[in-house]
Amino acid sequence: MIRVDHIDISYDGATKILAELSFSVERGAFIGIIGPNGSGKTTLLKTISRILSPMSGAVRIDGRELASIPYRDLARTLGVVPQETAINFDFTVMDVVLMGRHPYIDRLASESKEDIAIARRAMAMTGTEQFRDRSINEISGGERQRVIIARALAQEPKVLLLDEPTSHLDISHQIEILNIFKNLEGEVTTIGVFHDLNLAAHYCDTLILLDRGEIQALGSPAEVLTRDHLRRIFHINATVKKSPRTGKPYIIPIIEEDVLLTGALRIHLICGGGTGSDLMHELHQQGYALTAGVLCINDSDYETAAELGIPCITEPPFGAIRPDSLHELETMLGCADAVLVTDMPVGRGNLDNIRILERYCATPIVLFARSDAAGPGRDFTGGEAERLFALLKARGAATVDGHQDLRNTLQDLERRGDPAEQG
Amino acid sequence: MITRRHWIVLAFLAGLLFLSIFATVTMGSTRVALDTILSDPTATLIIFELRLPRVIAAVLVGFGLAVAGTAMQGLFKNPMADPYILGTSSGGALAAVFSLVFLGGHGQTLLAFIGATMATFLVYTVARQRGRAPVETLLLSGIAVSLLLSAILTLIMWTAGENVHRIFAWLWGGFPLASWGDVGVASLILVGCAIIFVYARDLNVLALGEEEATHLGVNVERFKQMLLCVSSFITALAVSISGIIGFIGLITPHVMRLIVGPDHRILIPASMIAGGLILLWSDTMVRTFTSEMPVGVLTAFLGAPFFVYLLRTRMKA
Repeated sequence: MIRVDHIDISYDGATKILAELSFSVERGAFIGIIGPNGSGKTTLLKTISRILSPMSGAVRIDGRELASIPYRDLARTLGVVPQETAINFDFTVMDVVLMGRHPYIDRLASESKEDIAIARRAMAMTGTEQFRDRSINEISGGERQRVIIARALAQEPKVLLLDEPTSHLDISHQIEILNIFKNLEGEVTTIGVFHDLNLAAHYCDTLILLDRGEIQALGSPAEVLTRDHLRRIFHINATVKKSPRTGKPYIIPIIEEDVLLTGALRIHLICGGGTGSDLMHELHQQGYALTAGVLCINDSDYETAAELGIPCITEPPFGAIRPDSLHELETMLGCADAVLVTDMPVGRGNLDNIRILERYCATPIVLFARSDAAGPGRDFTGGEAERLFALLKARGAATVDGHQDLRNTLQDLERRGDPAEQG
Repeated sequence: MITRRHWIVLAFLAGLLFLSIFATVTMGSTRVALDTILSDPTATLIIFELRLPRVIAAVLVGFGLAVAGTAMQGLFKNPMADPYILGTSSGGALAAVFSLVFLGGHGQTLLAFIGATMATFLVYTVARQRGRAPVETLLLSGIAVSLLLSAILTLIMWTAGENVHRIFAWLWGGFPLASWGDVGVASLILVGCAIIFVYARDLNVLALGEEEATHLGVNVERFKQMLLCVSSFITALAVSISGIIGFIGLITPHVMRLIVGPDHRILIPASMIAGGLILLWSDTMVRTFTSEMPVGVLTAFLGAPFFVYLLRTRMKA
């Protein structure tokens, strides 16, 4: 349907905006272009919509070179939704939507009944009928953007180009509008520039990741939105999860605070049932060398450990901890400067994780509690776990309450371990 | 969409113009009753050789100024624009004054047309970068070229000596010497107006922005060149017939937009008729109640305060 063939775009003939860019788009596909600011996304879109012409290379639609298609013919094939539209005269909403029919109406003719019916349908799809007689400048920015989308739909295009079409809309309208485009999938080929990576991942079948005018990755959202790409291209640390419902990736950026500690301590984390994930993120970011286990492989804490690259001992589900794993755990505990135990649920399956601590008198043990946690009920062993915790506390294990307290305790431990400070 | 209200406004304006032409030929420094027009030879002469060509010339020039103004406002997407801003009229005026001073007034119309077109294309060329002339640059280069042309005009007038009074009278504009020959030249204005009207829907689409208009199938750069060319043609004809008459091209489209809305398919004919009406009555006023005060003075006196009023209400809105 669309072939972009080795296009070069530069300003003033010197600074290259796009360099030797090539890709092709199948009929009916939904393609997202993502990339940091200044990566050439909008330039690429403007080249496909014939606003800019490439210095070399060509864009072809159905085999025809863009520059050879008459303007009116192109307008019947290709519709564009810009980021923002300023209209200086007070046209009514209906007038603006009807302008989408411009390439279909002969020079001296008026709009036909059919044109008006098509405009009405476009307004119904975008929920803009109720404004039809109001001035385009009287309605809100989000409403205006929906009118502009209706105008593009009234063009009955085979290809739709979207330049961050929903960046001015609230979340409910974003989803509503993107669903409209999604419903056109199959009949209309859609190429959109997106800033919101999660929306892009959800709606597009293929993503093109641009950086400095070159394609860095092209493929399914899962192939393109990797931790590595996010770090390398967007310079952010992020967790990439898989939506359990749609199987599409979604991204949670980790907003980095200033790192206070260099994290000389090696900490072994005993956790489970999702109680350790936040601590792993926090401590990992602060630079502590973490190890974890023993964890069941379908525990979400294990997923977090794997994502962050934290060494972890694992067990298959529904079994007690095997001697091999216990042996590995002993090795890890032997290397650790401190052991952190979360407020995890303790059952017969993971009781050995706690029991083994009886043997480590010299290693500081920190028990993590959350003030918002349900408190009792984490013991599913009939009192055995409680007894062990009481014993550890009696031997000097510290109990910390919340993240701030943990941070202070770890800092104290670090100072104690640093000979320079013992002076 | 075009509604019945639009047609009513157009029919009303057309009827008013028709009646005004009849009314204004009877008015003037000599009153002529309608029933004596054919029986009294003096009255026949006054009506057919003096007043009728003058009335028709004023209407046609009014048509032209209003349509050129509407086109420029649509092109610049700015209701404060008009062909004078582009330097078109300065170019026409300079060339016409050149003919007055150095050629004894020969070839004035032709020179005015050449001057107006050249000034417009100079402005366009200055504003053009890599095949495109963005509106902002076009406005600024229009101002720059206008200033230069005015300076040259002043220089010519300074060297002109005793001709200065004639030049002033001509520059301020009017129709005291309008003949059937002028009407013949002015009728070309109708051709220009018709061309612009044919592109009314393209002007509507241009209001969405130049890129948007491209996406809707308008070859924007060629369309802009065409608009500039035709409006400078119209302006040059108007300038060569009646000198510089201000505010008609600015005010008329502005007022009509408030009445009929922004759709150029209605706005262009409505502004055209209204422009003809305003200039016709202004000229009738100056020839009836003053001893041929330049009509440009009257339109400026009426137009400037009105323009300020519009500006203030727009700012409040």
